[in-house]
Amino acid sequence: MSAQGLQERHWSTHKERGSFVLMWLTALSVRVFGRRLLAPVLYLIVLYFFASARAARRNIRQYQSYLAEWSGKPTLQPTLGSVFKQFIAFADNLLDRLDVWRGRLRYEQVQLVDPSGVRSRLLRSRQGGRGEMLVVTHLGNPDVCRAMAELSEQVPLNVLVHNRHVAQFNRLLGEAGDRSMRLIQVSELDTAMMMDLSQRLERGEWLAIAGDRVPLNDGRRVTVDFLGHAAAFPQGPWLMAGLLRCPVNLLCCLKVEGRYRIYLDGFLDQAQWERGRRDATIRDWVGRYAEHLAQQCLIAPQQWFNFYAYWQSAERPEPKEAADAH
Amino acid sequence: MNALQQDIAQLIIDTLNLEDVTVDDIPPDLPLFGEGLGLDSVDALELALALQKRYDIRIASDSKDARQHFTTVATLAAFVQAQQDACAS
Repeated sequence: MSAQGLQERHWSTHKERGSFVLMWLTALSVRVFGRRLLAPVLYLIVLYFFASARAARRNIRQYQSYLAEWSGKPTLQPTLGSVFKQFIAFADNLLDRLDVWRGRLRYEQVQLVDPSGVRSRLLRSRQGGRGEMLVVTHLGNPDVCRAMAELSEQVPLNVLVHNRHVAQFNRLLGEAGDRSMRLIQVSELDTAMMMDLSQRLERGEWLAIAGDRVPLNDGRRVTVDFLGHAAAFPQGPWLMAGLLRCPVNLLCCLKVEGRYRIYLDGFLDQAQWERGRRDATIRDWVGRYAEHLAQQCLIAPQQWFNFYAYWQSAERPEPKEAADAH
Repeated sequence: MNALQQDIAQLIIDTLNLEDVTVDDIPPDLPLFGEGLGLDSVDALELALALQKRYDIRIASDSKDARQHFTTVATLAAFVQAQQDACAS
């Protein structure tokens, strides 16, 4: 047996290497030095990350080859260069995220792709409409919720996260002068939390939650096909939507030709299940979500920033099957 | 079965969309979870939300008490009554 299994770690134990700690540090230094001076430093850090993190390299390679096979586009097959490019894209992404957090990325600079009119419903929430849910992903720039909050023009946006550093983030937001967005830590679905969220929706506030990461301590997950292979996705966002009986939209922000595009897509008019078919219904939703996610990977193949073993949990060999499928 | 118990039994049926179940099928002492009516933890959350809205009460999360209140329709009714009395006074 290889030592592969030992090296795989859950994403939350990575502490979003680079993402949070680095962002916090760089946020400070950008304030002091400015982006132009900071960029080389960040590239060096990412270069180090690329050279040292073998598992991350392998995971990105796996993602790229799955995407190439699934889409039937051999040009997407991984090379050392294409894997490296994805790491560089991450550095750029971090710099962009800093701009977003500092309010430098204005709404005018962002293109909105909103075929089903999600934004108009968002604005309607100001006049007493009920709030809705946004499911976001770690493809592209998830922090664009910040720009989204601006886009919402005073409609409060609650971002639900598993992160324990919520207070710090909220302080950062406050410093950036943002009052319409706040982070809420959810560790478990419980009655008090659900009631709170339900009241927020009634007040016309919106909720955003990531749909592509399985929390460490939450057994509620569902395995569906993603890029041709089984991957685990969280049930949490969908359970929440069903309990709150609210509409669900998908939000994703990709950099296309040097410019950010926000993709808003209506997904469920009202999340609701028939009792007894709850698990099947959620599996169906997640399957469709994974399909949507796969299509968006094709728009910006290098902006998949899940560096941990995404397909790992699904591919842990079952006792009855040998791992000879690949 | 008193009026509140009947009301709660109906709320359970409506909230969880229990087809082919009538109020008479949920006697006050029938365990709601496990062997009785067979509800699970997600049903409990759904029910808690519905109860809070319907009776304008607050249910503390995850306390042992909360779990006990959800044992049967009778315990739920007693809990709702107690909460309403507490608010009224």
